[in-house]
This record gives sequence, C-alpha cells and structure tokens, in this order.
Amino acid sequence: MGSSEANKTTALRAVAGRWLRKVTAMMTLRKKQADKQAAETKASRPSFSGAEAGDGGPAGRDRPPEVKRKILVVGKGPVFTTGVMDYAASLAERLGYDILAMNLNPALDQAVKFFSPYNQRLRAKFAQQARRAWETTEPALTSQGIRCEHVVKFEDVARAVKALNHEIKRIDFVITDAGIADEEITGEIPLPVFSITGYQGDQKVMAREPEAGRKKLMGRTIALGLGAAALYAAVFLNSDLVMKYFTKGGIYAALPVATVFIFSFVHGAFASNLWSLLGIEATKKVQPQVSVSRPTPRKRPRLQLRIDT
Amino acid sequence: MHDMAAQTVNFIDLNILSISFLFVVGFIGGLVSGFIGSGGAFVLTPGMMSLGVPGTVAVASNMCHKFPKAMVGAYKRFKYGQVDIKLGLVMAVSAGGGVWMGINIQEWILAKWGQAGSNLYVSLSFVVILVVVGGYVFYDAWKTAKSGGEEKVCALAKWLQSINLPPMMHFKTANVRISMWFTIPIGFATGMLAATIAVGGFIGVPGMIYVLGVSGLVASASELVIAFVMGFGGTIKWAMHGMVDIRLTLIILAGSLLGVQLGAIGTTYVKEHMIKVVMGTIMIIVAVSRGLAVPQYLKELGFISLSSSTESFLSAASFIIMCIALAIGAIIILGSMWKAKRAETAKKAEMVLEKTYV
Repeated sequence: MGSSEANKTTALRAVAGRWLRKVTAMMTLRKKQADKQAAETKASRPSFSGAEAGDGGPAGRDRPPEVKRKILVVGKGPVFTTGVMDYAASLAERLGYDILAMNLNPALDQAVKFFSPYNQRLRAKFAQQARRAWETTEPALTSQGIRCEHVVKFEDVARAVKALNHEIKRIDFVITDAGIADEEITGEIPLPVFSITGYQGDQKVMAREPEAGRKKLMGRTIALGLGAAALYAAVFLNSDLVMKYFTKGGIYAALPVATVFIFSFVHGAFASNLWSLLGIEATKKVQPQVSVSRPTPRKRPRLQLRIDT
Repeated sequence: MHDMAAQTVNFIDLNILSISFLFVVGFIGGLVSGFIGSGGAFVLTPGMMSLGVPGTVAVASNMCHKFPKAMVGAYKRFKYGQVDIKLGLVMAVSAGGGVWMGINIQEWILAKWGQAGSNLYVSLSFVVILVVVGGYVFYDAWKTAKSGGEEKVCALAKWLQSINLPPMMHFKTANVRISMWFTIPIGFATGMLAATIAVGGFIGVPGMIYVLGVSGLVASASELVIAFVMGFGGTIKWAMHGMVDIRLTLIILAGSLLGVQLGAIGTTYVKEHMIKVVMGTIMIIVAVSRGLAVPQYLKELGFISLSSSTESFLSAASFIIMCIALAIGAIIILGSMWKAKRAETAKKAEMVLEKTYV
C-alpha cells in the first residue's frame, strides 16, 4: 500500500469526522437527554482524539437502547475487508455507535433471476458463508464494547440500504466496503454514504471453513474414494477378461482410452478432495503478468500527391 | 495390426513390489509434472522395462497414463489462471508434426545402424539437449534467485516479439503477442524430443520461456495442454495396436493423479523461479544418467571395448541416478511448498494479533 492511499484514508477520516461531529451535536441537542453542557463539550471536542477512545466510548454506550445510533457497513460478497472493519470499529468506539454489518449479494436477487431451488441453495450457502465470516469478526468488536448486528441481503446496494433504513431506525450513515462502485450508490439512498476506496487491509477477513462444509467434503471424499476403489476392483478382479479385450487393438482401442478417462474423473476428483481435506489448497490465484514494452506500430509512409510549382 | 499384439507382447504378472514401485514412481512423476509441466516418463519407461515389460508396451502404457494426468493437471492449473489454452493448442499442432518427424528419424537410424545405433542416438540427444538447455535454465533460475526472484523477459524473446511477421497471435493469459512462425519451431522441437526421449517438455517449457517470452508459470501450465494432446494422439495409436497394458496404466495413474494435483497446488505456494530450479536440476541429473549409458551403446556398435562388469555397473548407476533426479525434484518441490506454507501460517498468526484492535 502506497503512502498516497494512506493519505487518502486520512483525508477521508477527517471529512467523515467533521461531518460526524456536526451530526452528533445535533442529535444530542435534540434529544435533551444529556445535559446541555455535556452535549456542547462533546460537539466541540475533536472526536478523533485518541484519549476519547478509552473514556468517552463506554459512557456513550450506556445510553438507553432507543437512542443507540448505528453505522451501517455494507459489503458485497460474504466477507468484509479488514480495512473497512477497522475503520468502522474505531469510529463506533469513539462515537459510541453500534455497528450494523450487511453482506450483499445482488446476483442472487430473485427479482432479477428466475425463482429456483438452485437460487435458494446459493442464497443459503452465501448466508452461511457470510455468517461464518462474521463469527470471526464479531468477537473483536464485542470485546471493545461495540454492539453489532449482522444482516444478509440479496438486493442491490440502494434498495437494501433503503429497506434496512425502514426496518431498523437510527442508522446515521453508511460506510461502503471496497468492491462497491460509485455508480451503485444512487440518490435513492436516504443517508450519507462514505466509501472506503484506498487502503483495504492486507487481506480479507478469512471465512473459516464451515463445519458443515467440512463434513460434506469428508463425505464426498469418502464417496469418491469408494467409487475409485470399486473401479480398481472391477478392473483387477477381472484382469484376464479386461486384458483380453483391451489389447485386441483396432476399434477396441476405445476401451483403454474410455477407461482412463473414467478413472481420471473419479480418482482425480477424489485426489482433489483429499488434498482439500488435508488442508493443502492453493494459496493465491496466480495470474502472472510478465511486462514487456510493446513496440508502437510504425506509421507507414503514405504516398502524397504534390505538385511542384 | 491385431496380430502385432499377439506376436510380440507378453504382459507381465504383477506383484506387490512392482505395484508399489509403479505407484510411488507415478506419484513422484505426477508431482514433478504438475509442477514443471512434464517429467516422470523418463523414469517410468525404463523402470517398467526393468520390471520385464517389453519396450513398446512400456512406452504405450506410459503414454496412456500421461494424457489423463496432463488433463487433470491442466484443469487444476487452469483454475489458478495459469494455463494459456490457445498457446498450448497452437504448440500442440506443430508438436504433432515434430512427433511425426522424430519417429521418421528414429526409423531411419534403426534401419541404418540397428537398435544400438538408435539407443545411442536417443542417449546422445538426451545428453546434448539436457546439458545445454538444462544448464541454461539452471543458470537463469540462479540469476533470478540472486536478483530477488523477479522474472524478466529475455532479450531474444523481446526481439522476436517486436518482429511483425503476419499472422501475429496474441496469447491472452501468457500476455504475449508474437508471430505464429516463431511458435512453430518450438512446438516442432517439443514434438521431436517427445518422440525421441518421451519428455517433450524439456524443450517445450524452456522454449516458451526463452524464445516466446512466456513466464515460467504459464509455460509449465500450458505444457500440460501440449502433453494432453500429444499423449491422447499417441495413446490412440498405441491402443489400436493393442499395446496398452491397462493394469500398469491404472496403477501409475493412481499415484500420478494424486501427485499432479499436489504439484499444481505447489505452484501457487512457491516463487516462480522455483519451477526453473526444479526443471534445471532434473535435466542436468538426467543428462548425467544418460551420459553413463553412452559407453554401453558405443561398445555395442564396436567403437570401444568394455568389460561386462563395468557395463552392468554403468547401466545400474544410470538407472539409479535417474530415480535420484526425480526424487530430488520432488524433494525440492515439497520442501519449498512446506517452507512457503510455514511462512504463510506465521504471517496469518501475526495478522490475527494485529486484528485485536488494542
């Protein structure tokens, strides 16, 4: 990550901070639950000072539940980047806000895609993944005293935020994770939206492999292993017959070729599952790019008609 | 063609020892070819022959295991975005021509100088090509490792890419734009070497890297496509003669499908130049092994005299060194995978510590 991105984030935080200070002040005044003096102090004090994180935060969180204000963090896909979560967590801690995290997958919108059991299955899978990932994030937030909730939706950003704003009151502003384009944040959203576009953390918050998924993987591996074993048994227990026909040549050539294809599908899938089960999986999707300076196409000299005078 | 099988082939009986040998060599061969795109065949064919399998059956059964293995490996590496299918297919077409040419040369030598002459030709091609190409690959890998692991396109490839000789082809994954005419000799040489020493990748992969300017990762992955096409064609040819011993093929396949996937996964762990390190190392050791076999053929041709004990010693040493080549390749791959995995785990643990928001 370059320093320019770090600067970007700092600038973003500064803008968000300024705006938040205004909002905080207004809300506090309107509620009249805290005394005026305290409200003014809070409004005038820079919320992003490190000192406040320790003492100011918990005090803010002792307010009754109905005044709890929320930051909505929106991410596309089942996981949030560490960058957006770190930022939201530090904001929530300093301002005494709750965090409402929403994972979106607009691709599974039933209004767009025809209703199907497959779509349902994909939705269930996505929701499960998102929940598992959230389970790894949540403890860190709660340990800081930040209350948080998690929602999964299958709509586009604007509709989902709008709907959520109706369902759950007191969402003050939205932070969108990397991966959500500016065009998606349309005027329909009745809330101010901040986007994290710069530093996104070193890595996505890793989703732990779901326990159910592991069991399923184990089941599949065993099934494929048995299948492969059965195929091997079938060939080697009848090896005389097999050898008689497989070495006849001519059109019988199809037999060994077809056999190795079948074996490679079953045994290959078994081998692949076995390595996954043993925890040996590819670490990064590698797309190597060897950069070469391309020669610029030469402009051909064109014939030109010229009249010498 | 039906009678050919009846005449020449006596298929061996299998025992636990031969089955385990084939399985283990299959696994290690698969591991290496999943990683560098080819390999394994140079041990499997002589290995099977030492078990008493006739030469043609050994070649046919080996080829029959090669193409499904290459298919599984190519699929796996395609998922990692490393395979340039177009490059593989273009190369495979010209490799077909190379195979045809290679077989013709072999037959011509066989007719002129007999079996010993043919063996000598094969061994000499092994030694010359592997020493020259393998030496360069190794040198380049060493240079890359020294300069911090950054792969660079060599000057020859840059120059060839700048020549605009239609039809120009653009290989997307490899990110290379080059004239079709430069891919043909590489493919052709790959095919010729495959027909001669059964491991075309020893020229195909370095050819793609140093002549076409493809990265080591994409070159070794695309080599699997070439291996699949050539192996598939070769298998059909051999199977039509009834030469494939499906039992041998399936035993090797049992090991190699496990190995090839592990090798493919391995490419995502290690630094790119490791592919070159493994390839160069194996090529040089195999060259030594084949070099030891040369005196035997020279004796058979009557050029030198050799005592029978020396001869048997040399041939045993040659085979053992060949096995060592494969084993060293596997050890380098597994070792570097293990190291990379450990580093990654350490990094993850560090990140978890950082993530406690203290």
